[in-house]
Amino acid sequence: MLDLPARISDSLLLLIEAQRAVAHLVIDDAQNLVQAVGHLAHYGLDGLAFGGPAADQIPLLEGLLPLAETPFLIRSMEMPSGRVADVHFFADERTVWVLLLDVTAEYEEARLVQQKSYDMTLLSQREARLIAQLEAANQELTRAHRELDASQARLRSEMRDAERYVRAVLPAPMSQPFVVDWRFVPSTELGGDSFGYHWVDDEHFAIYLIDVCGHGVGSALLTVAVGNTLRSEALPGADFRHPAQVLAALNEAYPMERHGELFSTVWYGVYQPRSGSLRYATAGHPSPIVVSGPAGSSECEARALDAKGPCIGITPTARYQEAQCELRSPARLFVFSDGTYEIGRSDGSMMQLADLMATLSQPLGPGQSELDRVLDAARTAHGPGALEDDFTIVKIAL
Amino acid sequence: MLQKKICLLGAFGVGKTSLVRRYVDTIFSDTYLTTVGVKIDKKIATVGSEQMALIIWDIAGEDAVAAVRVSYLRGAAGYLLVADGTRPETLETAASIQSRITAEIGATPFIALLNKADLVEDWAIADDRVQQLEGEGWRFCRTSAKTGNGVEESFAELAALLSR
Repeated sequence: MLDLPARISDSLLLLIEAQRAVAHLVIDDAQNLVQAVGHLAHYGLDGLAFGGPAADQIPLLEGLLPLAETPFLIRSMEMPSGRVADVHFFADERTVWVLLLDVTAEYEEARLVQQKSYDMTLLSQREARLIAQLEAANQELTRAHRELDASQARLRSEMRDAERYVRAVLPAPMSQPFVVDWRFVPSTELGGDSFGYHWVDDEHFAIYLIDVCGHGVGSALLTVAVGNTLRSEALPGADFRHPAQVLAALNEAYPMERHGELFSTVWYGVYQPRSGSLRYATAGHPSPIVVSGPAGSSECEARALDAKGPCIGITPTARYQEAQCELRSPARLFVFSDGTYEIGRSDGSMMQLADLMATLSQPLGPGQSELDRVLDAARTAHGPGALEDDFTIVKIAL
Repeated sequence: MLQKKICLLGAFGVGKTSLVRRYVDTIFSDTYLTTVGVKIDKKIATVGSEQMALIIWDIAGEDAVAAVRVSYLRGAAGYLLVADGTRPETLETAASIQSRITAEIGATPFIALLNKADLVEDWAIADDRVQQLEGEGWRFCRTSAKTGNGVEESFAELAALLSR
Protein backbone atom coordinates (compact mmCIF):
# COMPACT_ATOMS: atom_id res chain seq x y z
CA MET A 1 0.00 0.00 0.00
CA LEU A 2 1.12 3.49 -0.76
CA ASP A 3 1.75 5.41 2.43
CA LEU A 4 0.48 8.74 1.19
CA PRO A 5 -0.90 11.74 3.03
CA ALA A 6 -4.70 11.82 3.02
CA ARG A 7 -4.83 14.91 0.76
CA ILE A 8 -2.81 13.10 -1.91
CA SER A 9 -4.70 9.85 -1.71
CA ASP A 10 -7.96 11.82 -1.80
CA SER A 11 -6.69 13.62 -4.85
CA LEU A 12 -5.80 10.33 -6.51
CA LEU A 13 -9.25 9.02 -5.76
CA LEU A 14 -10.83 12.10 -7.31
CA LEU A 15 -8.63 11.63 -10.38
CA ILE A 16 -9.68 8.01 -10.78
CA GLU A 17 -13.28 8.89 -10.11
CA ALA A 18 -13.17 11.54 -12.86
CA GLN A 19 -11.25 9.48 -15.41
CA ARG A 20 -12.90 6.11 -14.84
CA ALA A 21 -16.48 7.23 -14.36
CA VAL A 22 -16.64 5.31 -11.14
CA ALA A 23 -19.97 3.97 -9.96
CA HIS A 24 -20.70 1.55 -7.17
CA LEU A 25 -23.48 -0.65 -5.94
CA VAL A 26 -23.99 -1.93 -2.45
CA ILE A 27 -25.75 -5.23 -1.79
CA ASP A 28 -26.73 -6.54 1.58
CA ASP A 29 -26.50 -10.08 2.94
CA ALA A 30 -30.01 -10.80 1.63
CA GLN A 31 -28.64 -10.04 -1.87
CA ASN A 32 -30.87 -6.98 -2.12
CA LEU A 33 -29.64 -3.78 -3.71
CA VAL A 34 -29.42 -1.16 -1.01
CA GLN A 35 -27.38 1.59 -2.57
CA ALA A 36 -26.21 2.75 -6.03
CA VAL A 37 -23.88 5.73 -6.33
CA GLY A 38 -21.78 7.46 -8.99
CA HIS A 39 -21.96 7.50 -12.79
CA LEU A 40 -24.71 4.90 -13.06
CA ALA A 41 -26.22 6.33 -16.25
CA HIS A 42 -22.79 6.09 -17.86
CA TYR A 43 -23.19 2.32 -17.68
CA GLY A 44 -26.92 2.20 -18.36
CA LEU A 45 -27.68 1.38 -14.75
CA ASP A 46 -29.72 4.43 -13.84
CA GLY A 47 -33.20 4.06 -12.43
CA LEU A 48 -32.36 1.11 -10.19
CA ALA A 49 -34.82 0.33 -7.42
CA PHE A 50 -33.60 -0.45 -3.93
CA GLY A 51 -34.75 -3.20 -1.66
CA GLY A 52 -35.28 -5.95 -4.21
CA PRO A 53 -32.98 -8.79 -5.34
CA ALA A 54 -29.97 -7.17 -7.01
CA ALA A 55 -29.63 -9.89 -9.68
CA ASP A 56 -33.17 -9.21 -10.94
CA GLN A 57 -32.13 -5.73 -12.05
CA ILE A 58 -28.46 -6.31 -12.76
CA PRO A 59 -28.07 -9.57 -14.77
CA LEU A 60 -24.29 -9.70 -14.37
CA LEU A 61 -24.83 -10.48 -10.69
CA GLU A 62 -26.81 -13.62 -11.42
CA GLY A 63 -25.16 -16.58 -9.74
CA LEU A 64 -22.26 -14.52 -8.33
CA LEU A 65 -23.83 -13.84 -4.96
CA PRO A 66 -22.88 -14.63 -2.29
CA LEU A 67 -19.37 -13.86 -3.40
CA ALA A 68 -17.09 -16.93 -3.42
CA GLU A 69 -13.90 -14.90 -3.35
CA THR A 70 -13.03 -11.31 -2.49
CA PRO A 71 -11.75 -9.20 -4.01
CA PHE A 72 -12.99 -10.47 -7.37
CA LEU A 73 -12.52 -8.78 -10.73
CA ILE A 74 -14.27 -9.19 -14.04
CA ARG A 75 -12.28 -7.44 -16.72
CA SER A 76 -13.73 -5.59 -19.68
CA MET A 77 -17.40 -6.31 -19.26
CA GLU A 78 -19.63 -4.69 -21.83
CA MET A 79 -22.36 -2.81 -19.98
CA PRO A 80 -25.94 -2.11 -21.11
CA SER A 81 -24.93 1.41 -22.27
CA GLY A 82 -22.22 -0.03 -24.51
CA ARG A 83 -19.45 1.29 -22.27
CA VAL A 84 -16.96 -1.25 -21.04
CA ALA A 85 -16.10 -1.56 -17.39
CA ASP A 86 -13.80 -3.47 -15.13
CA VAL A 87 -16.13 -4.76 -12.44
CA HIS A 88 -14.55 -5.03 -8.99
CA PHE A 89 -16.24 -6.95 -6.22
CA PHE A 90 -15.41 -6.49 -2.54
CA ALA A 91 -17.22 -8.12 0.34
CA ASP A 92 -17.28 -8.38 4.06
CA GLU A 93 -19.55 -10.54 6.14
CA ARG A 94 -22.68 -8.53 5.49
CA THR A 95 -22.13 -6.38 2.42
CA VAL A 96 -20.95 -6.66 -1.16
CA TRP A 97 -19.63 -3.63 -2.97
CA VAL A 98 -19.56 -3.66 -6.75
CA LEU A 99 -17.34 -0.99 -8.30
CA LEU A 100 -17.49 -0.12 -11.98
CA LEU A 101 -14.48 1.54 -13.62
CA ASP A 102 -14.68 2.59 -17.24
CA VAL A 103 -12.01 0.93 -19.41
CA THR A 104 -13.64 1.52 -22.80
CA ALA A 105 -10.55 3.17 -24.30
CA GLU A 106 -8.23 0.36 -23.20
CA TYR A 107 -10.83 -2.16 -24.36
CA GLU A 108 -10.93 -0.65 -27.86
CA GLU A 109 -7.15 -0.62 -28.05
CA ALA A 110 -6.90 -4.23 -26.85
CA ARG A 111 -9.64 -5.30 -29.24
CA LEU A 112 -7.80 -3.83 -32.23
CA VAL A 113 -4.56 -5.58 -31.31
CA GLN A 114 -6.35 -8.85 -30.58
CA GLN A 115 -8.37 -8.60 -33.79
CA LYS A 116 -5.22 -8.23 -35.85
CA SER A 117 -3.51 -11.04 -33.99
CA TYR A 118 -6.46 -13.44 -34.36
CA ASP A 119 -6.94 -12.55 -38.02
CA MET A 120 -3.29 -13.38 -38.64
CA THR A 121 -3.49 -16.58 -36.62
CA LEU A 122 -6.65 -17.72 -38.38
CA LEU A 123 -5.05 -16.96 -41.74
CA SER A 124 -1.89 -18.87 -40.90
CA GLN A 125 -3.94 -21.79 -39.55
CA ARG A 126 -5.95 -21.81 -42.75
CA GLU A 127 -2.77 -21.64 -44.79
CA ALA A 128 -1.33 -24.57 -42.82
CA ARG A 129 -4.51 -26.59 -43.42
CA LEU A 130 -4.44 -25.79 -47.14
CA ILE A 131 -0.79 -26.77 -47.35
CA ALA A 132 -1.58 -30.03 -45.55
CA GLN A 133 -4.48 -30.65 -47.95
CA LEU A 134 -2.21 -29.89 -50.91
CA GLU A 135 0.45 -32.24 -49.59
CA ALA A 136 -2.15 -34.97 -49.07
CA ALA A 137 -3.51 -34.40 -52.58
CA ASN A 138 0.02 -34.45 -53.92
CA GLN A 139 0.74 -37.74 -52.17
CA GLU A 140 -2.48 -39.17 -53.55
CA LEU A 141 -1.55 -37.97 -57.03
CA THR A 142 1.91 -39.47 -56.72
CA ARG A 143 0.40 -42.78 -55.64
CA ALA A 144 -2.13 -42.69 -58.48
CA HIS A 145 0.66 -41.80 -60.90
CA ARG A 146 2.71 -44.74 -59.67
CA GLU A 147 -0.27 -47.05 -60.13
CA LEU A 148 -0.87 -45.60 -63.58
CA ASP A 149 2.77 -46.17 -64.51
CA ALA A 150 2.54 -49.78 -63.34
CA SER A 151 -0.72 -50.23 -65.21
CA GLN A 152 0.75 -48.69 -68.36
CA ALA A 153 3.80 -50.92 -68.07
CA ARG A 154 1.51 -53.95 -67.83
CA LEU A 155 -0.48 -52.67 -70.80
CA ARG A 156 2.69 -52.06 -72.82
CA SER A 157 3.86 -55.56 -72.01
CA GLU A 158 0.52 -56.99 -73.08
CA MET A 159 0.62 -54.87 -76.26
CA ARG A 160 4.10 -56.21 -77.02
CA ASP A 161 2.79 -59.75 -76.56
CA ALA A 162 -0.09 -58.96 -78.91
CA GLU A 163 2.28 -57.43 -81.45
CA ARG A 164 4.46 -60.54 -81.25
CA TYR A 165 1.37 -62.61 -81.96
CA VAL A 166 0.37 -60.41 -84.93
CA ARG A 167 3.88 -60.84 -86.35
CA ALA A 168 3.93 -64.55 -85.54
CA VAL A 169 0.94 -65.26 -87.76
CA LEU A 170 2.57 -63.51 -90.74
CA PRO A 171 4.04 -65.98 -93.25
CA ALA A 172 7.80 -66.25 -93.61
CA PRO A 173 9.37 -64.97 -96.84
CA MET A 174 9.81 -67.74 -99.40
CA SER A 175 12.21 -68.31 -102.27
CA GLN A 176 10.80 -71.33 -104.15
CA PRO A 177 9.32 -71.75 -106.66
CA PHE A 178 9.35 -67.95 -106.75
CA VAL A 179 10.42 -65.29 -104.33
CA VAL A 180 7.96 -63.75 -101.90
CA ASP A 181 9.22 -61.08 -99.50
CA TRP A 182 7.64 -58.30 -97.45
CA ARG A 183 8.14 -55.34 -95.14
CA PHE A 184 5.72 -54.69 -92.28
CA VAL A 185 6.05 -51.56 -90.09
CA PRO A 186 2.98 -50.82 -87.94
CA SER A 187 2.60 -47.12 -87.08
CA THR A 188 1.75 -48.01 -83.49
CA GLU A 189 2.66 -51.16 -81.63
CA LEU A 190 -0.56 -52.67 -82.95
CA GLY A 191 -1.74 -51.80 -86.44
CA GLY A 192 -4.66 -52.60 -88.70
CA ASP A 193 -2.59 -54.15 -91.49
CA SER A 194 -2.11 -57.85 -92.06
CA PHE A 195 -1.33 -60.08 -95.00
CA GLY A 196 -0.76 -63.66 -96.01
CA TYR A 197 -0.14 -66.06 -98.87
CA HIS A 198 -0.51 -69.78 -99.21
CA TRP A 199 -1.06 -72.55 -101.73
CA VAL A 200 -4.76 -73.24 -102.20
CA ASP A 201 -3.77 -76.35 -104.16
CA ASP A 202 -0.77 -77.39 -106.27
CA GLU A 203 -1.57 -74.87 -108.97
CA HIS A 204 -3.13 -71.92 -107.21
CA PHE A 205 -1.18 -69.55 -104.97
CA ALA A 206 -3.31 -67.09 -102.99
CA ILE A 207 -1.95 -63.73 -101.84
CA TYR A 208 -3.92 -61.19 -99.82
CA LEU A 209 -3.49 -57.99 -97.86
CA ILE A 210 -5.91 -56.58 -95.31
CA ASP A 211 -6.05 -53.01 -94.01
CA VAL A 212 -8.59 -52.48 -91.19
CA CYS A 213 -9.47 -48.83 -90.61
CA GLY A 214 -7.73 -47.27 -87.61
CA HIS A 215 -4.97 -48.60 -85.39
CA GLY A 216 -4.68 -50.19 -81.99
CA VAL A 217 -6.07 -53.26 -80.30
CA GLY A 218 -9.49 -53.29 -82.02
CA SER A 219 -8.07 -52.94 -85.53
CA ALA A 220 -5.33 -55.48 -84.81
CA LEU A 221 -7.81 -58.05 -83.48
CA LEU A 222 -9.98 -57.70 -86.58
CA THR A 223 -7.11 -57.81 -89.07
CA VAL A 224 -5.71 -60.94 -87.42
CA ALA A 225 -9.18 -62.53 -87.47
CA VAL A 226 -9.68 -61.72 -91.17
CA GLY A 227 -6.15 -62.94 -91.96
CA ASN A 228 -6.77 -66.20 -90.09
CA THR A 229 -10.08 -66.66 -91.93
CA LEU A 230 -8.34 -66.37 -95.28
CA ARG A 231 -5.32 -68.44 -94.21
CA SER A 232 -7.51 -71.26 -92.94
CA GLU A 233 -9.98 -70.85 -95.83
CA ALA A 234 -12.78 -70.68 -93.28
CA LEU A 235 -15.48 -69.21 -95.50
CA PRO A 236 -18.08 -71.91 -96.14
CA GLY A 237 -19.15 -72.12 -99.78
CA ALA A 238 -16.34 -69.94 -101.10
CA ASP A 239 -13.89 -71.33 -103.62
CA PHE A 240 -10.55 -69.86 -102.62
CA ARG A 241 -9.35 -70.07 -106.20
CA HIS A 242 -11.92 -67.39 -107.10
CA PRO A 243 -11.14 -63.98 -105.60
CA ALA A 244 -14.60 -62.46 -106.16
CA GLN A 245 -16.26 -65.31 -104.24
CA VAL A 246 -13.77 -64.99 -101.41
CA LEU A 247 -14.34 -61.24 -100.97
CA ALA A 248 -18.12 -61.60 -101.14
CA ALA A 249 -18.04 -64.33 -98.47
CA LEU A 250 -15.62 -62.29 -96.39
CA ASN A 251 -17.93 -59.26 -96.64
CA GLU A 252 -20.80 -61.41 -95.41
CA ALA A 253 -18.75 -62.78 -92.50
CA TYR A 254 -17.44 -59.43 -91.24
CA PRO A 255 -20.25 -56.82 -91.24
CA MET A 256 -19.00 -53.72 -89.44
CA GLU A 257 -22.01 -53.52 -87.11
CA ARG A 258 -20.91 -56.82 -85.55
CA HIS A 259 -17.20 -55.92 -85.51
CA GLY A 260 -16.86 -52.74 -83.52
CA GLU A 261 -17.95 -50.52 -86.45
CA LEU A 262 -14.67 -51.39 -88.15
CA PHE A 263 -14.41 -51.99 -91.86
CA SER A 264 -11.43 -53.00 -93.96
CA THR A 265 -9.94 -52.91 -97.41
CA VAL A 266 -8.74 -56.25 -98.78
CA TRP A 267 -6.94 -57.24 -101.92
CA TYR A 268 -7.07 -60.94 -102.79
CA GLY A 269 -5.30 -62.50 -105.80
CA VAL A 270 -4.68 -66.04 -107.05
CA TYR A 271 -1.57 -66.69 -109.10
CA GLN A 272 -1.17 -69.78 -111.30
CA PRO A 273 2.56 -70.24 -111.97
CA ARG A 274 2.02 -72.70 -114.80
CA SER A 275 -0.02 -70.30 -116.93
CA GLY A 276 1.28 -67.03 -115.46
CA SER A 277 -2.32 -65.98 -114.83
CA LEU A 278 -3.15 -63.68 -111.94
CA ARG A 279 -6.85 -63.42 -111.06
CA TYR A 280 -7.70 -60.81 -108.47
CA ALA A 281 -10.43 -58.76 -106.87
CA THR A 282 -10.32 -55.76 -104.57
CA ALA A 283 -12.46 -54.53 -101.70
CA GLY A 284 -11.60 -50.84 -101.74
CA HIS A 285 -7.90 -51.59 -101.60
CA PRO A 286 -5.11 -49.65 -103.37
CA SER A 287 -4.23 -51.13 -106.75
CA PRO A 288 -1.15 -53.36 -106.71
CA ILE A 289 1.73 -52.52 -109.04
CA VAL A 290 3.37 -54.86 -111.49
CA VAL A 291 6.90 -53.98 -112.56
CA SER A 292 8.02 -55.78 -115.70
CA GLY A 293 11.64 -56.17 -116.68
CA PRO A 294 14.81 -57.19 -114.82
CA ALA A 295 15.15 -55.52 -111.42
CA GLY A 296 18.48 -53.92 -112.25
CA SER A 297 17.40 -52.69 -115.67
CA SER A 298 16.47 -49.17 -116.67
CA GLU A 299 13.87 -50.63 -119.03
CA CYS A 300 11.45 -51.55 -116.24
CA GLU A 301 7.84 -50.60 -116.70
CA ALA A 302 5.42 -50.17 -113.81
CA ARG A 303 1.65 -50.44 -114.13
CA ALA A 304 -1.18 -50.53 -111.63
CA LEU A 305 -3.68 -53.39 -111.57
CA ASP A 306 -6.77 -51.23 -111.36
CA ALA A 307 -9.98 -52.76 -110.05
CA LYS A 308 -12.94 -51.61 -108.00
CA GLY A 309 -15.07 -53.04 -105.21
CA PRO A 310 -16.63 -51.88 -101.91
CA CYS A 311 -14.80 -52.20 -98.61
CA ILE A 312 -15.41 -55.29 -96.49
CA GLY A 313 -18.11 -54.84 -93.86
CA ILE A 314 -19.95 -51.79 -95.15
CA THR A 315 -22.55 -53.14 -97.61
CA PRO A 316 -24.13 -56.50 -96.73
CA THR A 317 -25.00 -57.42 -100.32
CA ALA A 318 -21.76 -56.27 -101.96
CA ARG A 319 -20.62 -58.06 -105.10
CA TYR A 320 -17.06 -58.10 -106.40
CA GLN A 321 -15.65 -58.14 -109.92
CA GLU A 322 -12.79 -60.40 -110.78
CA ALA A 323 -9.97 -59.19 -113.07
CA GLN A 324 -7.17 -61.11 -114.67
CA CYS A 325 -3.71 -60.43 -116.08
CA GLU A 326 -0.62 -62.36 -117.18
CA LEU A 327 2.59 -62.17 -115.17
CA ARG A 328 5.66 -63.11 -117.25
CA SER A 329 9.15 -63.34 -115.79
CA PRO A 330 11.03 -61.15 -115.21
CA ALA A 331 8.39 -59.25 -113.28
CA ARG A 332 7.51 -58.28 -109.71
CA LEU A 333 4.06 -57.90 -108.24
CA PHE A 334 3.80 -55.45 -105.31
CA VAL A 335 0.74 -55.57 -103.07
CA PHE A 336 0.66 -52.89 -100.40
CA SER A 337 -1.47 -50.83 -98.02
CA ASP A 338 -2.11 -47.10 -98.51
CA GLY A 339 0.33 -46.37 -95.69
CA THR A 340 3.10 -47.27 -98.09
CA TYR A 341 2.62 -44.18 -100.23
CA GLU A 342 0.03 -41.84 -98.62
CA ILE A 343 2.68 -40.10 -96.59
CA GLY A 344 2.69 -36.46 -95.63
CA ARG A 345 5.91 -34.67 -96.41
CA SER A 346 7.33 -31.99 -94.13
CA ASP A 347 6.30 -29.32 -96.69
CA GLY A 348 2.64 -30.37 -96.27
CA SER A 349 2.34 -32.19 -99.61
CA MET A 350 1.42 -35.88 -99.86
CA MET A 351 3.17 -38.69 -101.66
CA GLN A 352 1.02 -40.26 -104.38
CA LEU A 353 0.70 -43.70 -105.96
CA ALA A 354 2.63 -42.30 -108.94
CA ASP A 355 5.59 -41.60 -106.65
CA LEU A 356 5.56 -45.21 -105.51
CA MET A 357 5.38 -46.39 -109.12
CA ALA A 358 8.30 -44.13 -110.01
CA THR A 359 10.35 -45.49 -107.12
CA LEU A 360 9.61 -49.08 -108.13
CA SER A 361 10.44 -48.57 -111.80
CA GLN A 362 13.86 -47.08 -111.10
CA PRO A 363 16.79 -49.45 -111.73
CA LEU A 364 18.25 -51.03 -108.62
CA GLY A 365 21.84 -50.57 -107.63
CA PRO A 366 23.99 -53.58 -106.76
CA GLY A 367 22.90 -55.16 -103.47
CA GLN A 368 19.85 -52.89 -103.23
CA SER A 369 16.45 -54.19 -102.14
CA GLU A 370 13.34 -52.85 -103.83
CA LEU A 371 11.35 -53.18 -100.60
CA ASP A 372 13.97 -51.37 -98.52
CA ARG A 373 14.12 -48.63 -101.11
CA VAL A 374 10.35 -48.11 -100.88
CA LEU A 375 10.56 -48.05 -97.04
CA ASP A 376 13.47 -45.59 -97.18
CA ALA A 377 11.53 -43.36 -99.56
CA ALA A 378 8.56 -43.36 -97.20
CA ARG A 379 10.73 -42.53 -94.19
CA THR A 380 12.61 -39.82 -96.06
CA ALA A 381 9.34 -38.22 -97.14
CA HIS A 382 7.89 -38.43 -93.62
CA GLY A 383 10.92 -37.20 -91.74
CA PRO A 384 11.83 -38.18 -88.17
CA GLY A 385 9.46 -40.21 -86.01
CA ALA A 386 7.12 -43.12 -86.61
CA LEU A 387 5.09 -43.24 -89.80
CA GLU A 388 1.51 -42.00 -89.46
CA ASP A 389 -0.01 -45.18 -90.92
CA ASP A 390 0.91 -48.86 -91.12
CA PHE A 391 3.45 -49.58 -93.82
CA THR A 392 2.95 -52.98 -95.44
CA ILE A 393 4.23 -54.16 -98.79
CA VAL A 394 4.47 -57.70 -100.18
CA LYS A 395 6.48 -58.60 -103.28
CA ILE A 396 6.24 -61.64 -105.55
CA ALA A 397 9.23 -61.81 -107.86
CA LEU A 398 9.00 -63.99 -110.94
CA MET B 1 -39.37 -16.40 -13.30
CA LEU B 2 -36.49 -18.77 -13.00
CA GLN B 3 -33.22 -17.08 -13.95
CA LYS B 4 -30.05 -19.03 -14.89
CA LYS B 5 -26.58 -17.94 -15.80
CA ILE B 6 -25.02 -19.83 -18.69
CA CYS B 7 -21.65 -19.27 -20.38
CA LEU B 8 -20.28 -19.76 -23.86
CA LEU B 9 -16.71 -20.97 -23.87
CA GLY B 10 -14.19 -22.15 -26.41
CA ALA B 11 -11.19 -21.20 -28.48
CA PHE B 12 -11.10 -17.83 -30.22
CA GLY B 13 -12.85 -17.51 -33.56
CA VAL B 14 -15.14 -20.52 -33.14
CA GLY B 15 -18.29 -18.39 -33.39
CA LYS B 16 -19.45 -17.95 -29.78
CA THR B 17 -20.55 -14.34 -30.28
CA SER B 18 -22.20 -15.24 -33.60
CA LEU B 19 -24.17 -17.99 -31.88
CA VAL B 20 -25.39 -15.56 -29.22
CA ARG B 21 -26.29 -12.96 -31.87
CA ARG B 22 -28.17 -15.62 -33.84
CA TYR B 23 -29.98 -16.84 -30.71
CA VAL B 24 -30.77 -13.50 -29.12
CA ASP B 25 -31.16 -11.18 -32.13
CA THR B 26 -31.62 -13.77 -34.96
CA ILE B 27 -28.93 -12.04 -37.00
CA PHE B 28 -25.59 -13.10 -38.44
CA SER B 29 -22.64 -11.21 -39.85
CA ASP B 30 -19.78 -12.75 -41.83
CA THR B 31 -17.39 -10.17 -40.41
CA TYR B 32 -15.29 -11.61 -37.63
CA LEU B 33 -15.13 -9.28 -34.61
CA THR B 34 -13.10 -10.59 -31.74
CA THR B 35 -14.48 -10.50 -28.21
CA VAL B 36 -12.47 -8.94 -25.40
CA GLY B 37 -13.64 -9.58 -21.85
CA VAL B 38 -17.29 -10.47 -21.36
CA LYS B 39 -20.59 -9.51 -22.87
CA ILE B 40 -23.84 -10.38 -21.18
CA ASP B 41 -27.17 -10.92 -22.89
CA LYS B 42 -30.50 -12.04 -21.64
CA LYS B 43 -33.14 -14.11 -23.35
CA ILE B 44 -36.30 -15.78 -22.16
CA ALA B 45 -36.41 -19.46 -23.05
CA THR B 46 -39.43 -21.67 -22.82
CA VAL B 47 -38.93 -25.02 -21.17
CA GLY B 48 -42.07 -27.09 -21.31
CA SER B 49 -44.76 -24.85 -19.91
CA GLU B 50 -42.30 -22.77 -17.92
CA GLN B 51 -40.25 -19.77 -18.89
CA MET B 52 -36.63 -19.36 -17.93
CA ALA B 53 -34.51 -16.21 -18.17
CA LEU B 54 -31.11 -17.16 -19.54
CA ILE B 55 -28.33 -14.77 -18.57
CA ILE B 56 -25.82 -15.54 -21.31
CA TRP B 57 -22.16 -14.79 -20.68
CA ASP B 58 -20.24 -14.57 -23.94
CA ILE B 59 -16.66 -14.93 -22.71
CA ALA B 60 -13.57 -14.04 -24.76
CA GLY B 61 -12.09 -17.09 -26.47
CA GLU B 62 -9.02 -18.90 -25.34
CA ASP B 63 -5.83 -18.43 -27.29
CA ALA B 64 -2.19 -19.44 -26.99
CA VAL B 65 -1.52 -16.58 -24.55
CA ALA B 66 -4.71 -16.17 -22.52
CA ALA B 67 -6.64 -19.03 -20.97
CA VAL B 68 -10.34 -18.75 -20.27
CA ARG B 69 -10.98 -17.39 -16.77
CA VAL B 70 -12.75 -20.31 -15.20
CA SER B 71 -13.68 -18.08 -12.23
CA TYR B 72 -16.14 -16.29 -14.55
CA LEU B 73 -18.17 -19.48 -14.50
CA ARG B 74 -18.94 -19.09 -10.81
CA GLY B 75 -22.65 -19.27 -10.34
CA ALA B 76 -23.24 -20.60 -13.88
CA ALA B 77 -25.87 -23.33 -14.06
CA GLY B 78 -24.39 -24.69 -17.27
CA TYR B 79 -22.39 -23.82 -20.32
CA LEU B 80 -22.07 -24.29 -24.05
CA LEU B 81 -18.63 -25.47 -25.13
CA VAL B 82 -18.06 -24.31 -28.69
CA ALA B 83 -15.64 -25.74 -31.27
CA ASP B 84 -15.15 -24.84 -34.93
CA GLY B 85 -15.84 -27.88 -37.11
CA THR B 86 -13.28 -26.70 -39.64
CA ARG B 87 -10.48 -26.40 -37.04
CA PRO B 88 -9.91 -29.69 -35.20
CA GLU B 89 -7.55 -28.04 -32.72
CA THR B 90 -10.49 -26.05 -31.31
CA LEU B 91 -12.11 -29.28 -30.14
CA GLU B 92 -8.96 -30.03 -28.17
CA THR B 93 -9.07 -26.51 -26.68
CA ALA B 94 -12.68 -27.22 -25.70
CA ALA B 95 -11.64 -30.49 -24.08
CA SER B 96 -8.93 -28.68 -22.15
CA ILE B 97 -11.35 -25.98 -20.93
CA GLN B 98 -13.87 -28.61 -19.90
CA SER B 99 -11.35 -30.51 -17.80
CA ARG B 100 -10.23 -27.28 -16.06
CA ILE B 101 -13.83 -26.36 -15.25
CA THR B 102 -14.45 -29.80 -13.81
CA ALA B 103 -11.27 -29.55 -11.75
CA GLU B 104 -11.87 -26.03 -10.42
CA ILE B 105 -15.64 -25.74 -10.17
CA GLY B 106 -16.85 -29.31 -10.33
CA ALA B 107 -19.14 -31.15 -12.74
CA THR B 108 -21.37 -28.60 -14.48
CA PRO B 109 -23.96 -29.37 -17.16
CA PHE B 110 -22.76 -28.52 -20.67
CA ILE B 111 -23.39 -29.19 -24.31
CA ALA B 112 -20.61 -29.20 -26.91
CA LEU B 113 -21.41 -27.34 -30.13
CA LEU B 114 -19.61 -28.15 -33.37
CA ASN B 115 -20.18 -24.83 -35.07
CA LYS B 116 -19.84 -23.72 -38.72
CA ALA B 117 -21.71 -26.82 -39.87
CA ASP B 118 -22.55 -24.98 -43.10
CA LEU B 119 -18.90 -25.28 -44.17
CA VAL B 120 -19.35 -28.89 -45.21
CA GLU B 121 -16.39 -29.01 -47.60
CA ASP B 122 -13.99 -27.63 -44.99
CA TRP B 123 -15.25 -29.88 -42.18
CA ALA B 124 -12.20 -31.37 -40.49
CA ILE B 125 -13.25 -32.78 -37.13
CA ALA B 126 -12.77 -36.53 -37.04
CA ASP B 127 -15.83 -38.58 -36.22
CA ASP B 128 -13.83 -40.98 -34.07
CA ARG B 129 -12.67 -38.11 -31.83
CA VAL B 130 -16.27 -36.98 -31.41
CA GLN B 131 -17.30 -40.56 -30.62
CA GLN B 132 -14.50 -40.83 -28.09
CA LEU B 133 -15.72 -37.69 -26.28
CA GLU B 134 -19.30 -38.93 -26.47
CA GLY B 135 -18.00 -42.03 -24.73
CA GLU B 136 -16.82 -39.71 -21.94
CA GLY B 137 -20.36 -38.35 -21.57
CA TRP B 138 -20.22 -35.36 -23.90
CA ARG B 139 -23.37 -34.37 -25.69
CA PHE B 140 -22.72 -32.85 -29.16
CA CYS B 141 -24.86 -30.61 -31.38
CA ARG B 142 -23.94 -29.40 -34.84
CA THR B 143 -24.71 -25.72 -35.28
CA SER B 144 -24.39 -23.03 -37.88
CA ALA B 145 -24.67 -19.46 -36.65
CA LYS B 146 -24.75 -18.52 -40.32
CA THR B 147 -27.82 -20.53 -41.28
CA GLY B 148 -29.25 -20.80 -37.77
CA ASN B 149 -29.30 -24.59 -37.96
CA GLY B 150 -29.16 -26.18 -34.51
CA VAL B 151 -28.74 -22.87 -32.64
CA GLU B 152 -32.17 -22.44 -31.04
CA GLU B 153 -32.29 -26.18 -30.39
CA SER B 154 -28.92 -26.16 -28.59
CA PHE B 155 -29.85 -23.34 -26.21
CA ALA B 156 -33.26 -24.95 -25.64
CA GLU B 157 -31.62 -28.28 -24.87
CA LEU B 158 -29.29 -26.69 -22.34
CA ALA B 159 -32.21 -24.83 -20.76
CA ALA B 160 -34.11 -28.10 -20.50
CA LEU B 161 -31.06 -29.70 -18.93
CA LEU B 162 -30.92 -26.92 -16.31
CA SER B 163 -34.58 -27.16 -15.42
CA ARG B 164 -34.31 -30.77 -14.29
